[in-house]
Amino acid sequence: MSKTALAFVAIETPSAISAPRGLYSWVATVDHKRIGILYLLTALVFFAAGGVEALLMRIQLARPNNTFLSPDAYDQIFTMHGTTMIFLVVMPTLIGLANYLVPLMIGARDMAFPRLNALSYWLLPCGGLLLHFSLLAGGAPAVGWFSYAPLSEPAYASTQGIDYWVLSLLILGIGSVAASINLIATILTLRAPGLTIRRLPLFVWMVFVNSFLIILALPVLNSAIVMLFIDRHLGTHFFVPSHGGSAVLWQHFFWAFGHPEVYIMALPAFGIISEVIPVFSRRPIFGYEFVAASTVAIGLLSFGIWAHHMFAVGLGRPVDLFFAASSMLIAVPTGVKIFNWSATLWGGAIRLNTAMRFAVAFLIQFTIGGLSGVTFAVVPIDWQVTGTYYLVAHFHYVLFGGTFFAVFAGLYYWFPKMTGRMLSERLGKLNFWMALIGFNTAFFVQHFLGLMGMPRRVYTYPDLPGWGLLNFISTIGAFLLGASVLVLLWNIVVSLRRGQPAGENPWQAWTLEWATTSPPPAHNFDRVPPIRSRRPLWDLAHPENPDPLVGGSTSRDEFVLDKNRVGMASFLASESAFFLMLVLAYLFYNSQPLSGPSSANTLSPLKTGIYTLCLIASSLTFWLAEKKLAAKNFFAFRRLLALTILLGTVFVLGQGLEYLHLFRAGVMVNSNLFATTFFTLTGFHGLHMCIGLVALLIVLGLSLAGDFNQGRIEAVKSVGLYWHFVDAVWLVVFSVVYLRPLL
Amino acid sequence: MTTKQFIISAWNWNPWVIAICAATIIFYFARQRSPSRLKTGWLLAGTAIFFFTLASPIDALADGYLFSAHMLQHLLLLLVVPPLILLSLTPRTVPDCLQNGRWQPASKILRQPMATWLLGVGGMWIWHAPALCNAAVTNAWIHRLQYVSLLFMGFAFWWPIIGPWAKQRLSPLAGIIYLFSACIGCTILGIIITFSPVEVCTIYLHPMDMLGILPLIQEQWGLTPAKDQQLGGLLMWVPACLIYFCGILRLFFRWHGEQTDKAIDPASPFQIPLSGVPYEH
Repeated sequence: MSKTALAFVAIETPSAISAPRGLYSWVATVDHKRIGILYLLTALVFFAAGGVEALLMRIQLARPNNTFLSPDAYDQIFTMHGTTMIFLVVMPTLIGLANYLVPLMIGARDMAFPRLNALSYWLLPCGGLLLHFSLLAGGAPAVGWFSYAPLSEPAYASTQGIDYWVLSLLILGIGSVAASINLIATILTLRAPGLTIRRLPLFVWMVFVNSFLIILALPVLNSAIVMLFIDRHLGTHFFVPSHGGSAVLWQHFFWAFGHPEVYIMALPAFGIISEVIPVFSRRPIFGYEFVAASTVAIGLLSFGIWAHHMFAVGLGRPVDLFFAASSMLIAVPTGVKIFNWSATLWGGAIRLNTAMRFAVAFLIQFTIGGLSGVTFAVVPIDWQVTGTYYLVAHFHYVLFGGTFFAVFAGLYYWFPKMTGRMLSERLGKLNFWMALIGFNTAFFVQHFLGLMGMPRRVYTYPDLPGWGLLNFISTIGAFLLGASVLVLLWNIVVSLRRGQPAGENPWQAWTLEWATTSPPPAHNFDRVPPIRSRRPLWDLAHPENPDPLVGGSTSRDEFVLDKNRVGMASFLASESAFFLMLVLAYLFYNSQPLSGPSSANTLSPLKTGIYTLCLIASSLTFWLAEKKLAAKNFFAFRRLLALTILLGTVFVLGQGLEYLHLFRAGVMVNSNLFATTFFTLTGFHGLHMCIGLVALLIVLGLSLAGDFNQGRIEAVKSVGLYWHFVDAVWLVVFSVVYLRPLL
Repeated sequence: MTTKQFIISAWNWNPWVIAICAATIIFYFARQRSPSRLKTGWLLAGTAIFFFTLASPIDALADGYLFSAHMLQHLLLLLVVPPLILLSLTPRTVPDCLQNGRWQPASKILRQPMATWLLGVGGMWIWHAPALCNAAVTNAWIHRLQYVSLLFMGFAFWWPIIGPWAKQRLSPLAGIIYLFSACIGCTILGIIITFSPVEVCTIYLHPMDMLGILPLIQEQWGLTPAKDQQLGGLLMWVPACLIYFCGILRLFFRWHGEQTDKAIDPASPFQIPLSGVPYEH
């Protein structure tokens, strides 16, 4: 052992910061590790719920013409199963793991915004409870997790299930976006000295890319469900074809979110696999650059291929053609990853323990799911099988055989770090084989059922040759899979009590989370080891044979960013996506002349133009105010700030007068699609204006209390960014709504 | 007329286009005596595509017949020719006046990524305002102005990404954001054109059939005006984004391939981690 390694061992134990105990300490915690564990436990509870729902469906489908569940009960259960698994299990599990691991892996003490972190977590149980409350309020939503319009409109979905679904998804979406903003800010600003972007562990890389997917994709869903909610409660017709609305637009919006969502649920799983496989093959990952670059590629491409979910809608041959091509294209970066993982295994000294077993099974099953996915890019095949169990088999191979197996691998890998105890390998082996056999029995036969034409989303099926038998096999597999999860739970319970102590680094892994005690102290690290490559702990243990130096401290690698700016900028990117969808909806419905009120015959560009000038002026005054603040001229700062608020208020009042004028003229939100889109777009902008005004008032109050005299003016800068953003959005809205008809 | 006859006969040997191609190549080899094979390849590819865009049957189709052919020209001139030519450049080949001298203002714009971004994305949008789009087809001078402006906006847009001076390029992360947001910018317009129920360029609805190929296009190729516009929108949406996407991948790999210029000294071993406050250098 060399001196460095000894120095590492001899590092003093963390100074005693006694961790608070008791239930309240968990409720009030802002520690990223505890919040991460809370995420995982909450996801586990909902996993139980979603799993039971799955088993109920499998019982119903075990034999033909079964009457175990009524059609309506089946619809509710299958909607809840999908919604629960995606929004309450997979996303929280992956976000929870990221929450726990990212600060540890980058050598930070916590997330960039610990309180925001707690908020994002607590939105999860709130959203989950809201969704399940629908069971007590007349029945759960029964239209599938995709809620296709017009089935989700009041005429067809008369219970309040959809309303709870909308509200719950909105809350969960806000929570996910907040968590992602936090992760982006953490990864960009809190990396330990020397940990450049090019040296990041791949799990962190993938979480980083994933966070961008979340902040850009979730707002698309949010805008769509907000429109659906307005349809249901204000009597409008965004998605009602009989009144000029467009059900296809709902599908576009939903899948423009839905396809990136598929990758949101896959990328962190790729990250887990990229950590587990190298450690248990005892060699660094093959082609780090390619794994990282293919992640970026997948992230970008995932936004451009949603229409392949809609081949059966009939979008026309040119559209089908382009999206078939782009959908096949995304298989390339995914294939690159599979290749890299396989090449890492090749020639490695493989330690086949439970974590590694799950990782290898992931590789095979995800490849199967990926290959059947490519078949959907072929339009005629898609037409044939998109409505069948072939598709059910496909996405369960991706999501269960892929993502869940990766999560299990991650759980066996990181459980020792989280608890200080190892999971039992003996039970782990049982857990793995039961899960493997159960999963493949349950879902492989569904490929055949689908190719034989068994339709999905239907509560039962006729007694056709072979269907009953294959379904029965599938049900047996599902129960075996369920039992394997019980084994995992039992393993966790037993190991928590009697598991082998793990020590700091039971796997001789190389990333920073293993450089602290298990479980880590509240402040994570006293000292972070030196980082000069992608495997700092390898370098530390093998000073005679360290990894080659990666990059350097060039200006391109070591940039210093302010976390508040990064956080606000990510938030605004997310807001832009939301407004973009509202603007697109407006353009979509107003590109053809409508009967009734329209922009040309009801709005006055001149009057609103004057209010717009006020708004532009307010941006200017705020800019000047910031300058005064930088010059420590507090009196002038407050005066200009007050002027900003005044100008903003004039604008909001102007908008109010315009609304009043429209109401007097009988133009209501449900008058026609112009009125609907106009009020939705300007209403949401007005809401943001009001929030901006409140924020400005708070800044004014803080300034009066002398808060900025010490030069800590981050709040002013962040609020300023927001205010300029809201003004910029208005300029777009003004040109689209008021100026476009003048062209 | 059959497709084959049309493809053979519709080339236009515009002397201006040939002259520009020749001038580019002569000028390049005059400045750069022995360029690498790769750089020569980029230059020849760029010049060939430029020639193809303006002399091949695509130009005949874009001239009032097919919106999608016009879109193809638009994309090639804005997103393909400029980056190929830029890739062939080295600091040697660029006229000194761009660095310092009479063209100072122009080179200042090239150093403002916000400005070049607006030029690049604006180039997509402006020429698709219905009035301008129609005018460019009916008036030959506006048509030429369109070509030239597209090339210039393309050069400006790609300059901060693959310009000849490494110093003037954006940092990789900023470059990725630059290209990704541009991709969103043209995706939005592509989506609008693809799904818009109204025509963007009304001139393409009723072509004046000077070449007598209208039956060929509409009946044999099946390109009705509605399909034609959809195709145009899709071209802008999917392939255009893939070009930005290639740019992003290039940035990424160049970044990862960059070699160390100054190692962090491993002799100063353990460091204090960060806690919620960005560390100061």
